[in-house]
Amino acid sequence: MIDADTLPKSLRAACRIYGEDRTAMRQKDMGVWRSFTWKESHEQVRTLCLGLLGSGFKRGETSCIIGDNDPQYFWAQLGIQAAGGAAVGIFTDSTPPEIEFVVQHADARIVFAKDQEQVDKLLELKPRIPAVRRVVYWDGKGLWNYDDPWLAAYDDVQAQGRQLGEQQPDLYDRTVDAGKGDDLAIFCYTSGTTGEPKGAMITHANLIAGCELTTKVDPRMEGDEYLSFLPPAWITENVLGLTMHLRTGMLVNFPEAPETVQENLREITPHAQLFSARLWESLVSLVQVKMTETTFLNRQLYRLFMPVGYRVAGLRYEEHKPIGLAWRILNALGELAVFRPLRDKLGMTRIRSAYSSGAAQSPEVIRFFRAIGVNIKQLYGSTEAQTHTLHIGTDVRFETVGVPLPGMNVRIAEDGEILVSGPSVFKGYHKNPGATQSAFYVDGQGERWFRTGDAGLLEKDGHLIYLDRLKEMITLSGGESYSPQFIEGQLKFSPYIRDVMSVGGEDRPFVSALINIDFENVGRWAERRGLAYTTFVDLSQKPEVYELIRQDVERVNRNLPEKARVRYFVLLHKEFDPDEAELTRTRKLRRRTLEDHYREILEALYTGRREVRVSATVRYRDGREGQITTTVRVEGLGAERLSA
Amino acid sequence: MDTDTPNLSVQGISLSFGGTQALLDVSLDAQQREILAIIGPNGAGKTSLLNCLNGFYRPSTGRSIFEGVDLTALPPYRIAQLGIARTFQNIALYTGLSTLDNLMAARNIHMRAGFLKCLLYWGAAHREDIAHRARVEEIIDFLEIQHIRKAIVGSLPYGLRKRVELGRALALEPRLLLLDEPMTGMNQEEKADMARFILDIHELQGCTVLLIEHDMGLVMDIADKIVVLDFGVKIAEGPPEEIRRDPAVIKAYLGQTA
Repeated sequence: MIDADTLPKSLRAACRIYGEDRTAMRQKDMGVWRSFTWKESHEQVRTLCLGLLGSGFKRGETSCIIGDNDPQYFWAQLGIQAAGGAAVGIFTDSTPPEIEFVVQHADARIVFAKDQEQVDKLLELKPRIPAVRRVVYWDGKGLWNYDDPWLAAYDDVQAQGRQLGEQQPDLYDRTVDAGKGDDLAIFCYTSGTTGEPKGAMITHANLIAGCELTTKVDPRMEGDEYLSFLPPAWITENVLGLTMHLRTGMLVNFPEAPETVQENLREITPHAQLFSARLWESLVSLVQVKMTETTFLNRQLYRLFMPVGYRVAGLRYEEHKPIGLAWRILNALGELAVFRPLRDKLGMTRIRSAYSSGAAQSPEVIRFFRAIGVNIKQLYGSTEAQTHTLHIGTDVRFETVGVPLPGMNVRIAEDGEILVSGPSVFKGYHKNPGATQSAFYVDGQGERWFRTGDAGLLEKDGHLIYLDRLKEMITLSGGESYSPQFIEGQLKFSPYIRDVMSVGGEDRPFVSALINIDFENVGRWAERRGLAYTTFVDLSQKPEVYELIRQDVERVNRNLPEKARVRYFVLLHKEFDPDEAELTRTRKLRRRTLEDHYREILEALYTGRREVRVSATVRYRDGREGQITTTVRVEGLGAERLSA
Repeated sequence: MDTDTPNLSVQGISLSFGGTQALLDVSLDAQQREILAIIGPNGAGKTSLLNCLNGFYRPSTGRSIFEGVDLTALPPYRIAQLGIARTFQNIALYTGLSTLDNLMAARNIHMRAGFLKCLLYWGAAHREDIAHRARVEEIIDFLEIQHIRKAIVGSLPYGLRKRVELGRALALEPRLLLLDEPMTGMNQEEKADMARFILDIHELQGCTVLLIEHDMGLVMDIADKIVVLDFGVKIAEGPPEEIRRDPAVIKAYLGQTA
């Protein structure tokens, strides 16, 4: 582990250790992977830093960077930091007004813009950002005939730097030495859902602390491979990518183009990777689609061995039981025939640290990857405080986002908000003392806690349950709050539940749930148990099915505080239907329509009736409409169950 | 611009299929580094004209001269060797090969090593292959098709296939590029990308471009000069602003007006 208090000092130290022989970065260019040694990488940063100093960049100034994941992006950032400045990343898909806001607000003096696309945006903004002295680009394609002296090529800035370095050989080292851990390293602008974006000021010490705490529970070895493709304007790429690279010697690879990430992953087969929850999900569908297109033999092997993988992973990770010899042999065969080839296609043959973040990961996805031998873990964090909690080792629980990163403190405020303190908590928002003040809570001991704006629950075993954004929580008439999204999400983890709407709040004193059973899975379950049924309506009202779903509701209730638990539920006689405007086309609930369509049942739930006679209009596929009438039962839980 | 000696000169070309007169006494000049667009209603003879230029058809009268060489009697491969490349309306790629192989195949024209040397794949032949591959990679980078480098062309969507075809034409390192409806069937964004590529090629490689296209807006934006054909006859020629106002053109496109 490198020991230095700023990122440029870390680079210098790493270069002394690894120097000329070891590869620091690779980028695929012209179809071949091109390597940069630590010495080359350091030289790029040194000349760029001197070039910036030569063009009048001063300590404490800021510079913006707009570009894709390229070595040049990282070098620009380190060059700015070596010169004593803070780097501000801007997302490549930002519109000119968005760019204008950040460039102005961050008081940027120099802007790095990757290519013609970004340079054009800046040229459009030129009259409105007079404080910007220079725009530096690193991909000159299409810029041959641009003659605005405002623009400068990356190489030209470096050439100036090289000259300055010859005149003052110790200038670079002196400038780097002057940096301190408490200096601002980056600003991360958070896309505020309301109001203007806020620039979180993050110091070198913050980044280094975030990285070191992480490596204690998720270590990197020298020579580990990593593919950089999360947006570099994000805090995550800064900590787990760049800072990790400088502190542990992890090799960073850059994809050829944003479209080639999947292919490049396979070529690199990284040891550590963090994907968004959404990306993991899309990988599962990718595999499933490919399986329908593959050869007959491959498809049969997949069908044969996936259940084995699921079973063995279930025993290992969920039931924590020993795995019998027969299962082991079958699993070993599956490993040869299916799991390893699949991991190979996905570029995951070497993956040791596989994290998912950004949203709750569905157990289906986690189970799938465990079956093929990749143990995905969840990570929960924020721009302002970096990683708050994560799953460590095999201690993975679907319903939680893991335990606090050792060295970070997590607690729940009285209103249910998750508070975080620790060395990676940021300094404050740039030029926004109001927002900075309200972002922190100072307790009796003078400890500064960051208010995450998220609602959560802390379990006895230290695991944190993430509920929802605090402002999405609904207050019951008794004053307690609950999260409809959380309850619905957790219930949907059950294979037997297709859709759920939970209700409560305003004039409703407790939470109840309207549930759609998953006809296919419950049907199969019924067949296995020899339970006869005719239609969806019939199946949904079977007492045995009520019992089955009740177990799921109880499981979810166990993780909820007393008042926020589901007290009654109903298994609906029909499925929510996008054709009846009950769901959006992407299967999101239309709560108002649902409240209206199921008014009778909701009334029964809150007036204590146990059975409701319902009739519903059903629109058939051929356009005809029909009426179905049936009796739907209300099921109570806990104390209500006994009294019912 | 050197206006005295045109880069390409078509002189009184006529072409007929049996009783159908496809082209009648068509003449046009394209200057070095000019983007010349040929427009006209369906069946006006636009593609036939390109086919005459690259030797697929032999005109019954008239001749075409490129950089001082008479093309009229030359077979297509000789014309390609002179530095004239084209793309086709209906895309003509090796659909069973990858993007890379399609582009490498086009480099064949520039390859020096003989059969035996290539078989040994050693020394000069090896070095030559690497140099060609580097040139092809530049084109891949230029057209932003890295992600489909190894994809089989037949499996690609239409817009990308068009781009690969343009790439193949570029791999010939042409001095005259004939593009037959490069933007048909594309959405607005793909069209804009294609227009940008054409302008960049023109700017960077300094080649003359002869372009057939139906999207008037695009043609008006990128062409230096427009030639209008109708029933095999040239009815107008001039810069875009002039063509836009030309009564004969309006008539050909909108039919007889009252």
